[in-house]
Amino acid sequence: MAEMWITMGPQHPMTHGLWTLRVKVDGETVTDTEAELGYIHRGVEKICEARDFTQITPYCDRLCYVSAMTWAHSYVMAAEDLLEAEVPERAEYIRLMAAEVQRLASHLMWLGAFGPDIGNLTLMTWCLRDREMFLDLLQELGGSRMHYNYPRIGGVKRDIPIGWGNRLKAKVKLFEHRINEYEMLLDESTIWLVRLQGVGYATAEDQLNAGVTGPNIRAAGVNTDTRWTNPYSVYDQVDWEPAVEKPTSVKGADCYDRYRVRMEEMRQSCRMLLDAIDKIPGGANTHYQPGDEMILTKAPTRAPEGATGFSTYECTRGVSNFYIQGGGDGRGKNPYRLSIRSPMFITIPYVAKTMIGYKIADIPAIMGSFDPCIGETDR
Amino acid sequence: MNDWLGLHDFIYYRTREGANWLLEGTFLESSANDIAFFIFTLSVCLITFGGIMLSMFMILWIERKFYARVNDRRGATTALRSLWVGENGVTAGEWWNMVPYGLGKPIGAINRWLNKVAGNSGHKHEMVNRVGNRSWYGVTIFPGFFQNIADGMKFLTKEHMVPSRADKIIFELAPFLVISSTIMILGMIPLSSGIYGANPELSVLFAFAIFGIAPLGVFFAGWSSNNKYTLLGGIRSAAQLTAYEIPLLLSILGVCIMAGSFNFIEIVHFQHSSGTWLFFLMPLGAVLFLISMIAEVERIPFDMPEAEAELVEGWWTEYGGMRFGLLFAAEYMRVYAASILFAHFFMGGWHAPFAGTIGSIPYLGAAWLAIPGVIWTLLKAWFIFTVVFVWARTALPRIRTDQILEFGWRMLLPLAILQVALSLVYRLYFFDASALSDTVAGGWTWDLTVLGYTLPWGLPILTTMFWIGLFAILMKDENIVENEERMYHIRTMTPAGTHTAGKE
Repeated sequence: MAEMWITMGPQHPMTHGLWTLRVKVDGETVTDTEAELGYIHRGVEKICEARDFTQITPYCDRLCYVSAMTWAHSYVMAAEDLLEAEVPERAEYIRLMAAEVQRLASHLMWLGAFGPDIGNLTLMTWCLRDREMFLDLLQELGGSRMHYNYPRIGGVKRDIPIGWGNRLKAKVKLFEHRINEYEMLLDESTIWLVRLQGVGYATAEDQLNAGVTGPNIRAAGVNTDTRWTNPYSVYDQVDWEPAVEKPTSVKGADCYDRYRVRMEEMRQSCRMLLDAIDKIPGGANTHYQPGDEMILTKAPTRAPEGATGFSTYECTRGVSNFYIQGGGDGRGKNPYRLSIRSPMFITIPYVAKTMIGYKIADIPAIMGSFDPCIGETDR
Repeated sequence: MNDWLGLHDFIYYRTREGANWLLEGTFLESSANDIAFFIFTLSVCLITFGGIMLSMFMILWIERKFYARVNDRRGATTALRSLWVGENGVTAGEWWNMVPYGLGKPIGAINRWLNKVAGNSGHKHEMVNRVGNRSWYGVTIFPGFFQNIADGMKFLTKEHMVPSRADKIIFELAPFLVISSTIMILGMIPLSSGIYGANPELSVLFAFAIFGIAPLGVFFAGWSSNNKYTLLGGIRSAAQLTAYEIPLLLSILGVCIMAGSFNFIEIVHFQHSSGTWLFFLMPLGAVLFLISMIAEVERIPFDMPEAEAELVEGWWTEYGGMRFGLLFAAEYMRVYAASILFAHFFMGGWHAPFAGTIGSIPYLGAAWLAIPGVIWTLLKAWFIFTVVFVWARTALPRIRTDQILEFGWRMLLPLAILQVALSLVYRLYFFDASALSDTVAGGWTWDLTVLGYTLPWGLPILTTMFWIGLFAILMKDENIVENEERMYHIRTMTPAGTHTAGKE
């Protein structure tokens, strides 16, 4: 058969968002690919230049609609670096737990979307069922189910409610059983293995050169988990280990390795949450009023001209960086320049090239295993 | 043994008598038999087809309920009754009172009765709860059973669109090719020995010859839609259906060799008169038949032609409205046909299980044998549909195209040939034709006599035990350490996270 170009997207089940993958196929084999991004570019960086430092947090929530908490957390870390604000330890613990609950919800969303990619719709309903538990927890914190606007510069908006810790424990313990259920459904199924193993190889070297981070490169055996290598917040005080997979093939990590590393990361998040809720200063069953110095310190609202803030944060999909330059407007109320590094913006063009040589049916498997999120990609 | 509900013969003789009596002395007297035959054929076909169609709602309902249950929810389903029953059993404008001459009064009475016996008085907000997927909205009879009627009505209201640069004639022709060939299969399949549309001598061959027409329609649809996704889906479908047609036909050939007939009714009768279901004599054939059938009807895990993840909807992407609805219905008709065929070929069709044993119990036995054969056929078909088709769909992911073809050609085809050889051996060397019996209890043809000692049902028992044992061995979790060279297994020796690069 002659080669032809197929345009997958911007509306296509494989894309998980709005972008276009143009695929050149020879029969069923992919011979060339081309990724087109930018369909939902909103100009967040430019918008932020006209906003207060506090007003920017909700915009960062909206960078990625499945892991809003981690992006807001990443931003407030950069802002605290810029404004030299202190964060109380209790607030750090609360932020850590919120981020890890968000990581669980985000990975569940990934697994739930990955199932239909491979053809199993049951997985989606199961994952969304369990994601509800964690969204309920986040809703108790932020008052909303998607965009929480929860972290503040110098702390968090509200303390954890009474009983939140117990609910968290119960849900996490239930979820640890549910992960086993997922593995019974997936890892025991030969079809799942033949669809993932030996598909979508990506070597550690290539991924390092391309700048891929997060679970995708940890699947290739490189530990780039900044929570571990460069601990921020209180990640060095809780009990956990980074999930790193050692691929058995010299060709690098395949889709199965990437699937395994995320499943393991969910287990580690559970472990971290169970430990953090015990270690939280002030106890899990006390509730401080909003603005209490246990959860929020007063931070300056103006940054001096020339001051910069920077954060390196392990988002659910990779390392996110915020770079803020203070002194906008000549008054210091707004950032002069705010720059965001999105992990998926770097990953997606790389993934498009790893598909070459595989079948059309492998495209959703490979794309899904890298967990794309277009909100943060296009910014 | 014939089913006591001999609807076919009953209608044949009654129409003939009635026509002769009615037309006696008129100018049509000489053609009375022809007229009777016309009426008889029409009514028999309508009864058979109607029976299959109406009972098909059952499998659609089973699938929805089972799927929802596996997915941990009750399912957002709509009962037909909920179209007019409002909150708290109060009707939203009792429209039946507006029907002239009081013709709608019975509907109001039925509705009041339904509310009384199965209603939800005491529960508030039925519609709200139902849409909100909450499960405490009260008990109704078969909730969601009539969802498909509502769906069909919706499809009928949709506009029929043809892509501008499509090949219009072929595009319009393709769904009719698929649907009409599917309906023709149902004409060949008997519901019991007394209820069937047509019964030619070689009905099995004829049914599967028709079964092979649909792939042509699928390919037509994929090609003529002028869409790259449908084209790929059509080609995938053609490749897959061709690859699985052969093991399917070979496994059916095994059945026909065993029964010594190419006729559905005779195959089912053979299972009764020989004493055992063919499933116990050829479990391999039954499994091959099921796998090939799942591939033929394009359901998960073999639904590559309509893989929605990469091909959107595959070959029927461009069809909308009732054409889509009919294609969808055709798929379910094929699934249903496959389930009924499995019941006929391997599960004794319309014969009651243990007719000899349970049938000899006083009173209970008579009641057991009084159940019409069509009920047994449908129950067996629904059972197979639920346990195999729906369960596979809920539990399994989709296989890639090349893997499907490899599986079909490399594994199913040799095994199907093996099954044909086994059937020949069984029929030639173990079959005892003198023990065939057409009584209620059936015969004893498969007893195994070794060294003068006769084991009743020896061959089916040994065959089933052998295959179940083999299955258990194959299904056992393999030892990963010893089987490292195997292509597919869980390769992670050390689970992720146990080797900590950061700590070293």
